[in-house]
Amino acid sequence: MKISGKVKEQTRIRLLEAAVDVITEKGFEKATMRAIAKQADVADATIYNYFSTKEKLLYGYCEYVQQQVMAELKSIEDFHEYSLQEQLHQLVEAELRHWLPAREFLQTVFAQTFAAPTVGHELLADTKVILKTMVLELIDASIEAGEIPEQPYQDLLPTLFWDYQSAILAYWLKDTSDGFANTTKLVDQSTEIIAQLLIGGVIGKTLDMFSFLFRTHVLQHMNSLDMIFQQPEILAAKRRFMEGEA
Amino acid sequence: MSKMPSSQISRAGLVGSTAVKLGVGKLKHKVKRPFLDESSRVVDKEKQYDAEAEILFNAITQLRGTAVKVAQMIGMETELLPERIRTELAKSYHQVPPLNRVLVRKVIQEELGEPPENLFDEFNSVAVAAASLGQVHRAKLHDNRDVAVKVQYPGIHVSIDSDLKLLSKLSAGGIKLIPKHRQPSKDIIETTVEEIGARLREETDYRIEAENTCWFKENLNMQGVHVPIVHADYSSQRVITTQLLEGQHLDIWLDANPSQKIRDRAAQLIYDVFFHSATQLGRVHADPNPGNFLYMENGEIGLIDFGCVKKLSPKFVKNLPALLHAFHLNDYQRIFEAYASLGTTIKSDNQYDYESVLRPFGEWLSRPVREDYFDFKKNKNYTTSGRELIHKMSEMPSLEKVDEDFIFFDRTLYGMFKIFERLEATVYMRGHWEKLWVESDV
Repeated sequence: MKISGKVKEQTRIRLLEAAVDVITEKGFEKATMRAIAKQADVADATIYNYFSTKEKLLYGYCEYVQQQVMAELKSIEDFHEYSLQEQLHQLVEAELRHWLPAREFLQTVFAQTFAAPTVGHELLADTKVILKTMVLELIDASIEAGEIPEQPYQDLLPTLFWDYQSAILAYWLKDTSDGFANTTKLVDQSTEIIAQLLIGGVIGKTLDMFSFLFRTHVLQHMNSLDMIFQQPEILAAKRRFMEGEA
Repeated sequence: MSKMPSSQISRAGLVGSTAVKLGVGKLKHKVKRPFLDESSRVVDKEKQYDAEAEILFNAITQLRGTAVKVAQMIGMETELLPERIRTELAKSYHQVPPLNRVLVRKVIQEELGEPPENLFDEFNSVAVAAASLGQVHRAKLHDNRDVAVKVQYPGIHVSIDSDLKLLSKLSAGGIKLIPKHRQPSKDIIETTVEEIGARLREETDYRIEAENTCWFKENLNMQGVHVPIVHADYSSQRVITTQLLEGQHLDIWLDANPSQKIRDRAAQLIYDVFFHSATQLGRVHADPNPGNFLYMENGEIGLIDFGCVKKLSPKFVKNLPALLHAFHLNDYQRIFEAYASLGTTIKSDNQYDYESVLRPFGEWLSRPVREDYFDFKKNKNYTTSGRELIHKMSEMPSLEKVDEDFIFFDRTLYGMFKIFERLEATVYMRGHWEKLWVESDV
């Protein structure tokens, strides 16, 4: 039986939401694919057509949140009139809002990513791409509108923003203030700083400075290191080692 | 952001948190000057310290408190501060950054369940005014009615406690700079800080304000006085939506040079509202901040912002006219009796206190009711001239206890007179009280 793309997408989302429920309730280790399939009202085998592992479900949800965030930003009519700070601020707020129903689940995501960074890194790639594309588009539009100057190392900025956002999410997970008021405040103030950094082109200038220092000082030292490694005794020792004489 | 009501700073609730911090920051910034030699640096620093302490201390004492002597000064809150500091504070308050679109949207979405674009037909994301702990936006409901939506600064309810802790710590240091005989006790400060907290927490619940607004809408039926309808469906703890009243804020209204007759009418209506609500309804709109009234072209007024409403005790309402009458008659015995009946204890038989403090105070207090019509243009220093008298009164050693209603009543009266001075209005006040004197004497 052939099923339409729409139905398929709905099943996918149902599975992701079921994963949130089951993992939140039982913990990542104890949650089984079978239990998730059951929760989503999907046949045991069918779940594997969508997600081959639990990890993929875990990070699949992150991507799903990211898509919702993007949809929300697109739905705000006058979003294009927002200042860059407001846009970035809205982005983070939307992120928090869409994570709210799955806040405990996000804790698991963090724990898993720390426990297995390589897997996490790999599986978060798609989520990252969505966020980075959004941020890059915002920055591009802002440069085009003359709100901020051209940013050197522009491609690096979305990565920095990703790290910033992860830090905000981590802070939010520990925030015990009523209505997460402290996070609200932190986001308000930090996006303001980020916007100021971009307006002043500070990030690019800082990176320029580091690159200069690195080139003129660190690389020079590397030359002297080279000189050490090129010493005949060391070269001889190295050869002996490589040839298995040592 | 557009013009904010000018005397927001006099809104006691706000002085406690935001304005104090900003005021201090502002001052620090002002005195930061490089390349001073060591001695001028010390002087500079001391100056700064003095100024900060003054702000902090006064912020505490100015607020709506119950603490005895400190509270007595409350009616004078804006006057107690030296001019320079007042300007500084007022300026910094104006600099409170307005909420951006993101936060406004967030608060509305969290409080009312939908973002503004879904809830309203139109929603102006630029605020039209600052309000108690928030800001006001204009919007249009789907049925085309114009409304004012007040949105609270998110998280302000959380920061109150930490702000206050800081405030009481700082004030403990600042207090040493006050001359010994004027230093209030630790208890008084603590009580005052607690009182400020309670007050602020109450103000963060807009449901109380909604209730108050509805109550006045129902009970205050006066020709020419407008109270907005509350749209309960669009209101919650941190958002309140009301009918948008016509009219302008004082500054703008005065810019258009309204005639004497129109200004008199506005002032008279404000006084009538006050008198009627104090003596007949037993509760007053106890935040006589010019920003809480809207002035219409024909001199009619709109009452907005019922964040601070004070219920007066029946005893107070009943006995108050007697006090004013006693002052009016300059009757020593009656004055002490009246004070006692109002829950304010003054150790009696103190001729000195009477002659040097109470009598001049009473003369000042009853001056507006000595004439049929009191002209605030001719007496434009009326409130300022009472400043020292109130100060003295609050420091009078024989003054042991002050009734809380008094503080609110005085504060409201004082704030209202300040508005009348700005309006340069002539107001009829004597007759209102005379009627009650006759009744109470019978």
